[in-house]
Amino acid sequence: MTTNPALVESPTVEVDDVSKWFGQKVAVSNVTCSFGPGVTGLLGPNGAGKTTMLRMLTGLIRPSQGGIKVLGVWPRTSPSVYANVGLVPEEAAVYPSMTARAFIRYAATLAGVADADEAAARAIDTVALGDAADRRLGGYSKGMRQRAKVAAALVADPQILLLDEPLNGTDPVQRLHLINLFRQLGDEGRTIVVSSHVLDEVERMSDRVIAIVDGRLAAAGDIAAIRRAMSDIPYRVRVETDRSRVLAARLLEEALVHGVTIDDDVLHVETGDLAALGRRVPVIAGDVDARITVFRPEDASLESVFRYLVGRR
Amino acid sequence: MRASLAITTATIRQVFGIRRALIFGFAAIAPALVFLVSSQTLADEAALNRLLAMVVGLYFPLLVPIVSLIISASALGDERRDGTLSFLVIRPIPRSAISGAKFLGAALVVGALNGLGGGALGLMYGLETGVWGVLIPLILGGIVAGTVYTALFVPLGFFTDRAVLAGLAFVFVFENGVVSALSGLSALSPWRLGLSTFAALAPDSVAADLVDFGAVNLSGLGSTTLRAFVVVAVSIAATTMVLRRRDLA
Repeated sequence: MTTNPALVESPTVEVDDVSKWFGQKVAVSNVTCSFGPGVTGLLGPNGAGKTTMLRMLTGLIRPSQGGIKVLGVWPRTSPSVYANVGLVPEEAAVYPSMTARAFIRYAATLAGVADADEAAARAIDTVALGDAADRRLGGYSKGMRQRAKVAAALVADPQILLLDEPLNGTDPVQRLHLINLFRQLGDEGRTIVVSSHVLDEVERMSDRVIAIVDGRLAAAGDIAAIRRAMSDIPYRVRVETDRSRVLAARLLEEALVHGVTIDDDVLHVETGDLAALGRRVPVIAGDVDARITVFRPEDASLESVFRYLVGRR
Repeated sequence: MRASLAITTATIRQVFGIRRALIFGFAAIAPALVFLVSSQTLADEAALNRLLAMVVGLYFPLLVPIVSLIISASALGDERRDGTLSFLVIRPIPRSAISGAKFLGAALVVGALNGLGGGALGLMYGLETGVWGVLIPLILGGIVAGTVYTALFVPLGFFTDRAVLAGLAFVFVFENGVVSALSGLSALSPWRLGLSTFAALAPDSVAADLVDFGAVNLSGLGSTTLRAFVVVAVSIAATTMVLRRRDLA
């Protein structure tokens, strides 16, 4: 049983004290973490080191220090492991003169899939590329190219799927489809690592997050747990009641309440102990004869976690 | 094997689109067309001199290197520039299979174009004089030179975005400048390996006349073939090593 939230019980991908520098620039610094079945969000602002990390996981670039194992081996020296790894890179990475179907079939053939045509057709269905599959990739929109790349990564039915900003350029319908697809693949027991700087997307796709800021591991674990760990900043709770001013005045007398603001009769209460506040508010509301209609933490979202992590550095 | 074949096929399509096929196809037969236009009224001996002028002045030192350079440099260079190299290398196939298949795809296209060029020139000479002894040597000479150039320029395209510029410098400064001045270095010149193949296989009378066109210090067929094999083997090994060791994205 591991207690380090950056590590998982049954890892398929292990990162051990990895650093990567390009000349004087340190892109990734002393990161230790692991990934297992399910969807993990690799989160960080642009330039944080996410792409470098994903490229190291696939063996495209070598760590300057430390080690990486994918299914127990370093992919560069054991290319057979790539039969179980799919990558959707952020950059174009498609052959513009190929049709999407030919591109995906090419990926299947290179992966050693027995019936490449059948596998390509299945992957095209999975990403709902449909009739567009027989058009050249050069004429595709960015969103369609993303789906073609996802299909090419999925065509060999990999156990591990690494996705670098996979939703870039997709429209809302495509985005929803891909998010549901990644969740489904994660639920099937595959290891899905999705990098993104769009916090809402990561939150919708993954339960677990590895946050990288300035090349360093800033936080890891499930989103709520990360938020709980940030005990040095107050929680912000939204309270809606029919007697907002009376309740606010009464709450300010409580030691566990750091502050209260009123905005259109809605209370925003700051506290260092969310659980204690949750127990105390109903009691106080009863004392002042107020009816509570909403009691909801406002900042357990990834957005606030991310803002905090970036701001802390 | 299926994967290598797929990479070779994809490479052929990648480096040899319709536009390139038209441009380089026309360029390949240009020496033959020049020969055709300029040798209409010549006697056999003058026609042979005109042929050798084409062979030593246009086909081997100019056409073969330029066609080979542009086709070969794009085989891996385009993959790197377009970001598709990552698509290729994260497959369960050895890096040696990738470098071998990329080389083979480029070499087949280069060989076909240079073979076409040499074949067209030999064909025109045969039609003009009734002598067909230079047809096959010209085709094989072009293929040998093209293969060696491919071995040099495929990895060059991977290493630098300016592969064409670097390749042109190699051809015009080193081969056509330095080696021309210091004929002892001729073994280091790929187009001279092609010319050596041509000289070794062509009728003796043709080979003897080559000296008048400055073609000296040519190697024998065995030595040329061995050198070509060594360059190809070293090139594939070096490309494989780079694909294994260098950061690829």
